[in-house]
Amino acid sequence: MSISKDIWGELTKMFVSDARVTGFILALVAVTAALCFGTDLPPLFAGAFLLCGSLSILVLGVRAEARRRLAAKGRAPDKI
Amino acid sequence: MLDWSTAAPAIGAAFLASVVEVVEAFTIVLVVATLRGWRPAIVGTGAALATLTAVVVVLGPLMNRVPVPVLQLFIGVLSLLFGIGWLRKAALRAGGVLPLHDEDAAFARQSALLGAEVQRAKAAQDWIAGIAAFKAVLLEGLEVVFIVIAVGAGRGMLVPASLGALAACALVLGIGAAAHRPLSRVPENRLKFAVGVMLSSFGVFWTGEGLGVAWPGQDLALLVFAALFLGAGLVAARMVRPDVEAFT
Repeated sequence: MSISKDIWGELTKMFVSDARVTGFILALVAVTAALCFGTDLPPLFAGAFLLCGSLSILVLGVRAEARRRLAAKGRAPDKI
Repeated sequence: MLDWSTAAPAIGAAFLASVVEVVEAFTIVLVVATLRGWRPAIVGTGAALATLTAVVVVLGPLMNRVPVPVLQLFIGVLSLLFGIGWLRKAALRAGGVLPLHDEDAAFARQSALLGAEVQRAKAAQDWIAGIAAFKAVLLEGLEVVFIVIAVGAGRGMLVPASLGALAACALVLGIGAAAHRPLSRVPENRLKFAVGVMLSSFGVFWTGEGLGVAWPGQDLALLVFAALFLGAGLVAARMVRPDVEAFT
Protein backbone atom coordinates (compact mmCIF):
# COMPACT_ATOMS: atom_id res chain seq x y z
CA MET A 1 0.00 0.00 0.00
CA SER A 2 2.81 2.33 0.97
CA ILE A 3 4.68 1.48 -2.24
CA SER A 4 1.71 2.26 -4.50
CA LYS A 5 1.05 5.47 -2.53
CA ASP A 6 4.69 6.52 -2.91
CA ILE A 7 4.67 5.72 -6.62
CA TRP A 8 1.42 7.64 -7.17
CA GLY A 9 2.85 10.59 -5.23
CA GLU A 10 6.03 10.61 -7.31
CA LEU A 11 4.10 10.32 -10.58
CA THR A 12 1.93 13.28 -9.58
CA LYS A 13 5.03 15.27 -8.64
CA MET A 14 6.47 14.56 -12.12
CA PHE A 15 3.77 16.67 -13.75
CA VAL A 16 2.63 18.94 -10.93
CA SER A 17 5.83 20.36 -9.47
CA ASP A 18 4.01 23.63 -8.77
CA ALA A 19 0.21 23.79 -8.82
CA ARG A 20 0.10 27.38 -10.15
CA VAL A 21 2.54 26.68 -12.99
CA THR A 22 0.57 23.54 -13.89
CA GLY A 23 -2.68 25.55 -13.84
CA PHE A 24 -1.24 28.25 -16.09
CA ILE A 25 0.09 25.69 -18.59
CA LEU A 26 -3.27 23.90 -18.78
CA ALA A 27 -5.06 27.25 -19.18
CA LEU A 28 -2.59 28.23 -21.91
CA VAL A 29 -3.27 25.01 -23.82
CA ALA A 30 -7.03 25.53 -23.43
CA VAL A 31 -6.83 29.09 -24.82
CA THR A 32 -4.57 27.88 -27.66
CA ALA A 33 -7.14 25.20 -28.52
CA ALA A 34 -9.89 27.84 -28.46
CA LEU A 35 -7.85 30.04 -30.84
CA CYS A 36 -7.33 27.07 -33.18
CA PHE A 37 -10.89 25.76 -33.26
CA GLY A 38 -13.03 28.72 -32.20
CA THR A 39 -11.68 31.56 -34.31
CA ASP A 40 -10.74 32.26 -37.93
CA LEU A 41 -7.17 33.11 -36.98
CA PRO A 42 -4.43 31.13 -38.75
CA PRO A 43 -3.29 28.13 -36.61
CA LEU A 44 0.26 29.47 -36.67
CA PHE A 45 -0.93 32.48 -34.65
CA ALA A 46 -2.19 30.05 -31.99
CA GLY A 47 1.16 28.23 -32.15
CA ALA A 48 3.06 31.49 -31.58
CA PHE A 49 0.72 32.24 -28.66
CA LEU A 50 1.47 28.81 -27.16
CA LEU A 51 5.23 29.29 -27.54
CA CYS A 52 5.29 32.83 -26.09
CA GLY A 53 2.96 31.78 -23.28
CA SER A 54 5.16 28.81 -22.34
CA LEU A 55 8.29 30.99 -22.27
CA SER A 56 6.52 33.60 -20.13
CA ILE A 57 5.22 30.97 -17.69
CA LEU A 58 8.77 29.65 -17.30
CA VAL A 59 10.34 33.05 -16.58
CA LEU A 60 7.52 34.25 -14.32
CA GLY A 61 7.38 30.88 -12.55
CA VAL A 62 11.10 31.05 -11.69
CA ARG A 63 10.73 34.65 -10.52
CA ALA A 64 7.68 33.91 -8.38
CA GLU A 65 9.26 30.83 -6.79
CA ALA A 66 12.47 32.75 -6.00
CA ARG A 67 10.45 35.55 -4.42
CA ARG A 68 8.40 33.05 -2.41
CA ARG A 69 11.47 31.19 -1.13
CA LEU A 70 13.36 34.34 -0.22
CA ALA A 71 10.31 35.72 1.56
CA ALA A 72 9.96 32.46 3.47
CA LYS A 73 13.54 32.81 4.66
CA GLY A 74 12.71 36.31 5.85
CA ARG A 75 15.19 37.87 3.51
CA ALA A 76 13.06 38.88 0.56
CA PRO A 77 13.88 42.10 -1.23
CA ASP A 78 11.02 44.52 -1.79
CA LYS A 79 11.07 43.68 -5.43
CA ILE A 80 12.64 40.87 -7.37
CA MET B 1 15.86 5.25 -43.34
CA LEU B 2 16.38 7.21 -40.12
CA ASP B 3 15.68 10.95 -40.41
CA TRP B 4 18.43 12.38 -38.21
CA SER B 5 16.84 15.85 -37.90
CA THR B 6 14.01 14.13 -35.97
CA ALA B 7 15.95 11.24 -34.49
CA ALA B 8 18.92 13.18 -33.09
CA PRO B 9 16.89 15.35 -30.66
CA ALA B 10 14.83 12.30 -29.61
CA ILE B 11 17.91 10.13 -28.99
CA GLY B 12 19.81 13.00 -27.33
CA ALA B 13 16.94 13.94 -25.00
CA ALA B 14 16.29 10.30 -24.04
CA PHE B 15 20.01 9.73 -23.43
CA LEU B 16 20.60 12.84 -21.28
CA ALA B 17 17.40 12.43 -19.26
CA SER B 18 18.17 8.76 -18.66
CA VAL B 19 21.69 9.59 -17.44
CA VAL B 20 20.15 11.83 -14.75
CA GLU B 21 17.54 9.27 -13.70
CA VAL B 22 19.87 6.26 -13.74
CA VAL B 23 22.48 8.15 -11.67
CA GLU B 24 19.79 8.85 -9.03
CA ALA B 25 18.57 5.24 -9.02
CA PHE B 26 22.15 3.92 -8.94
CA THR B 27 22.90 5.95 -5.79
CA ILE B 28 20.06 4.24 -3.89
CA VAL B 29 20.89 0.77 -5.24
CA LEU B 30 24.47 1.37 -4.07
CA VAL B 31 23.18 2.36 -0.62
CA VAL B 32 21.26 -0.94 -0.43
CA ALA B 33 24.28 -2.93 -1.63
CA THR B 34 26.58 -1.20 0.86
CA LEU B 35 24.25 -1.73 3.83
CA ARG B 36 22.80 -5.18 3.09
CA GLY B 37 24.90 -6.66 0.26
CA TRP B 38 24.30 -7.05 -3.46
CA ARG B 39 21.60 -9.75 -3.20
CA PRO B 40 18.67 -7.51 -2.09
CA ALA B 41 19.97 -4.75 -4.37
CA ILE B 42 19.93 -7.03 -7.42
CA VAL B 43 16.60 -8.68 -6.52
CA GLY B 44 14.93 -5.27 -5.97
CA THR B 45 16.39 -3.86 -9.19
CA GLY B 46 15.41 -6.96 -11.18
CA ALA B 47 11.83 -6.85 -9.88
CA ALA B 48 11.55 -3.16 -10.78
CA LEU B 49 12.93 -3.76 -14.29
CA ALA B 50 10.42 -6.60 -14.76
CA THR B 51 7.57 -4.27 -13.67
CA LEU B 52 8.81 -1.56 -16.05
CA THR B 53 8.95 -4.08 -18.90
CA ALA B 54 5.34 -5.07 -18.14
CA VAL B 55 4.30 -1.38 -18.21
CA VAL B 56 5.98 -0.91 -21.61
CA VAL B 57 4.49 -4.14 -23.01
CA VAL B 58 0.97 -3.07 -21.93
CA LEU B 59 1.27 0.62 -22.92
CA GLY B 60 3.04 0.10 -26.26
CA PRO B 61 0.20 -1.57 -28.21
CA LEU B 62 -2.38 0.75 -26.58
CA MET B 63 -0.62 3.80 -28.01
CA ASN B 64 -0.95 2.44 -31.54
CA ARG B 65 -4.75 2.55 -31.16
CA VAL B 66 -4.88 6.24 -30.25
CA PRO B 67 -5.32 8.66 -33.20
CA VAL B 68 -2.01 10.49 -33.86
CA PRO B 69 -3.28 14.09 -33.20
CA VAL B 70 -4.80 12.99 -29.86
CA LEU B 71 -1.57 11.22 -28.92
CA GLN B 72 0.49 14.28 -29.93
CA LEU B 73 -1.71 16.61 -27.89
CA PHE B 74 -1.70 14.32 -24.84
CA ILE B 75 2.06 13.75 -24.91
CA GLY B 76 2.68 17.41 -25.78
CA VAL B 77 0.79 18.69 -22.73
CA LEU B 78 2.50 16.17 -20.41
CA SER B 79 5.91 17.09 -21.89
CA LEU B 80 5.19 20.78 -21.34
CA LEU B 81 4.26 20.11 -17.71
CA PHE B 82 7.27 17.85 -17.12
CA GLY B 83 9.76 19.93 -19.15
CA ILE B 84 8.87 23.34 -17.73
CA GLY B 85 8.88 21.77 -14.24
CA TRP B 86 12.45 20.51 -14.74
CA LEU B 87 13.62 23.70 -16.44
CA ARG B 88 12.12 25.88 -13.71
CA LYS B 89 13.88 23.85 -11.00
CA ALA B 90 17.18 23.84 -12.92
CA ALA B 91 16.96 27.64 -13.38
CA LEU B 92 16.27 28.04 -9.64
CA ARG B 93 19.36 25.92 -8.91
CA ALA B 94 21.47 27.84 -11.44
CA GLY B 95 20.25 31.09 -9.89
CA GLY B 96 21.28 29.93 -6.42
CA VAL B 97 17.72 29.83 -5.03
CA LEU B 98 17.82 26.03 -4.59
CA PRO B 99 20.95 24.08 -3.61
CA LEU B 100 22.58 21.94 -6.30
CA HIS B 101 21.80 18.21 -6.17
CA ASP B 102 24.68 16.37 -4.50
CA GLU B 103 24.90 12.59 -5.04
CA ASP B 104 27.36 12.18 -2.14
CA ALA B 105 24.91 13.95 0.19
CA ALA B 106 22.02 11.89 -1.24
CA PHE B 107 24.05 8.72 -0.60
CA ALA B 108 24.69 9.72 3.03
CA ARG B 109 21.04 10.73 3.57
CA GLN B 110 19.67 7.51 2.04
CA SER B 111 22.16 5.41 4.02
CA ALA B 112 20.99 7.01 7.28
CA LEU B 113 17.31 6.60 6.37
CA LEU B 114 17.61 2.99 5.27
CA GLY B 115 19.93 2.12 8.15
CA ALA B 116 17.38 3.43 10.67
CA GLU B 117 14.52 1.59 8.94
CA VAL B 118 16.44 -1.68 8.86
CA GLN B 119 17.37 -1.29 12.56
CA ARG B 120 13.70 -0.77 13.44
CA ALA B 121 12.54 -3.80 11.50
CA LYS B 122 15.08 -6.24 13.03
CA ALA B 123 13.62 -9.13 11.03
CA ALA B 124 13.30 -9.14 7.24
CA GLN B 125 16.06 -6.55 6.85
CA ASP B 126 16.99 -7.76 3.36
CA TRP B 127 13.35 -7.46 2.37
CA ILE B 128 13.22 -3.78 3.39
CA ALA B 129 16.50 -3.09 1.59
CA GLY B 130 15.22 -4.86 -1.54
CA ILE B 131 12.01 -2.82 -1.46
CA ALA B 132 14.07 0.40 -1.28
CA ALA B 133 16.01 -0.62 -4.42
CA PHE B 134 12.74 -1.68 -6.12
CA LYS B 135 11.06 1.68 -5.44
CA ALA B 136 14.07 3.73 -6.55
CA VAL B 137 14.54 1.85 -9.82
CA LEU B 138 10.79 1.75 -10.56
CA LEU B 139 10.24 5.47 -9.93
CA GLU B 140 13.28 6.66 -11.87
CA GLY B 141 12.52 4.06 -14.55
CA LEU B 142 8.94 5.31 -14.96
CA GLU B 143 10.35 8.78 -15.61
CA VAL B 144 12.68 7.30 -18.26
CA VAL B 145 9.74 5.44 -19.87
CA PHE B 146 7.70 8.66 -19.98
CA ILE B 147 10.59 10.65 -21.47
CA VAL B 148 11.17 8.00 -24.15
CA ILE B 149 7.45 8.10 -25.01
CA ALA B 150 7.41 11.93 -24.92
CA VAL B 151 10.29 12.39 -27.34
CA GLY B 152 9.72 9.29 -29.46
CA ALA B 153 6.03 8.50 -29.82
CA GLY B 154 4.91 11.49 -31.89
CA ARG B 155 7.05 10.60 -34.92
CA GLY B 156 7.48 6.86 -34.55
CA MET B 157 10.91 7.32 -32.93
CA LEU B 158 10.28 5.03 -29.97
CA VAL B 159 13.02 2.57 -30.92
CA PRO B 160 15.81 5.17 -31.42
CA ALA B 161 14.75 6.98 -28.22
CA SER B 162 14.76 3.65 -26.33
CA LEU B 163 18.26 2.97 -27.66
CA GLY B 164 19.35 6.39 -26.34
CA ALA B 165 17.95 5.48 -22.91
CA LEU B 166 19.57 2.03 -22.95
CA ALA B 167 22.92 3.56 -23.92
CA ALA B 168 22.64 5.88 -20.90
CA CYS B 169 21.86 2.90 -18.61
CA ALA B 170 24.85 0.99 -19.94
CA LEU B 171 27.15 4.00 -19.56
CA VAL B 172 26.09 4.85 -15.99
CA LEU B 173 26.10 1.23 -14.81
CA GLY B 174 29.51 0.64 -16.45
CA ILE B 175 31.07 3.71 -14.81
CA GLY B 176 29.26 3.00 -11.53
CA ALA B 177 30.45 -0.61 -11.44
CA ALA B 178 34.02 0.52 -12.05
CA ALA B 179 33.93 3.44 -9.59
CA HIS B 180 31.83 1.63 -6.96
CA ARG B 181 30.74 4.94 -5.41
CA PRO B 182 28.03 7.57 -6.04
CA LEU B 183 28.55 9.36 -9.36
CA SER B 184 28.78 12.81 -7.78
CA ARG B 185 30.81 14.34 -10.61
CA VAL B 186 28.01 14.06 -13.15
CA PRO B 187 26.96 17.68 -13.89
CA GLU B 188 23.39 16.89 -12.95
CA ASN B 189 21.94 20.39 -12.99
CA ARG B 190 23.35 21.12 -16.44
CA LEU B 191 21.90 17.85 -17.71
CA LYS B 192 18.53 18.68 -16.12
CA PHE B 193 18.66 22.13 -17.71
CA ALA B 194 19.34 20.54 -21.12
CA VAL B 195 16.60 17.93 -20.70
CA GLY B 196 14.14 20.57 -19.49
CA VAL B 197 14.90 22.62 -22.60
CA MET B 198 14.37 19.61 -24.89
CA LEU B 199 11.19 18.37 -23.20
CA SER B 200 9.65 21.86 -23.18
CA SER B 201 10.51 22.22 -26.88
CA PHE B 202 8.95 18.86 -27.69
CA GLY B 203 5.97 19.87 -25.54
CA VAL B 204 5.25 23.03 -27.54
CA PHE B 205 5.91 21.18 -30.81
CA TRP B 206 3.60 18.21 -30.15
CA THR B 207 0.87 20.30 -28.50
CA GLY B 208 0.86 22.61 -31.53
CA GLU B 209 0.84 19.70 -33.99
CA GLY B 210 -1.95 17.99 -32.05
CA LEU B 211 -4.01 21.18 -32.37
CA GLY B 212 -3.34 21.41 -36.11
CA VAL B 213 -0.49 23.96 -36.15
CA ALA B 214 1.88 23.39 -39.10
CA TRP B 215 5.20 24.67 -37.76
CA PRO B 216 7.39 26.44 -40.35
CA GLY B 217 10.46 24.32 -41.13
CA GLN B 218 8.67 21.30 -39.60
CA ASP B 219 11.06 19.40 -37.30
CA LEU B 220 13.71 22.12 -37.55
CA ALA B 221 11.34 24.31 -35.53
CA LEU B 222 12.39 22.16 -32.55
CA LEU B 223 15.88 23.71 -32.69
CA VAL B 224 14.41 27.24 -32.63
CA PHE B 225 12.19 26.30 -29.67
CA ALA B 226 15.18 24.78 -27.86
CA ALA B 227 17.22 27.97 -28.37
CA LEU B 228 14.33 30.08 -27.05
CA PHE B 229 13.76 27.88 -23.97
CA LEU B 230 17.49 27.80 -23.26
CA GLY B 231 17.62 31.60 -23.49
CA ALA B 232 14.53 32.01 -21.30
CA GLY B 233 15.91 29.59 -18.67
CA LEU B 234 19.25 31.40 -18.55
CA VAL B 235 17.56 34.81 -18.37
CA ALA B 236 15.33 33.59 -15.53
CA ALA B 237 18.33 32.21 -13.59
CA ARG B 238 20.26 35.43 -14.14
CA MET B 239 17.29 37.55 -13.11
CA VAL B 240 17.06 36.01 -9.63
CA ARG B 241 20.80 35.60 -8.93
CA PRO B 242 21.61 39.22 -7.87
CA ASP B 243 18.80 39.17 -5.32
CA VAL B 244 19.95 35.85 -3.90
CA GLU B 245 23.56 37.12 -3.72
CA ALA B 246 22.44 40.34 -2.04
CA PHE B 247 21.03 38.33 0.86
CA THR B 248 23.83 35.81 1.37
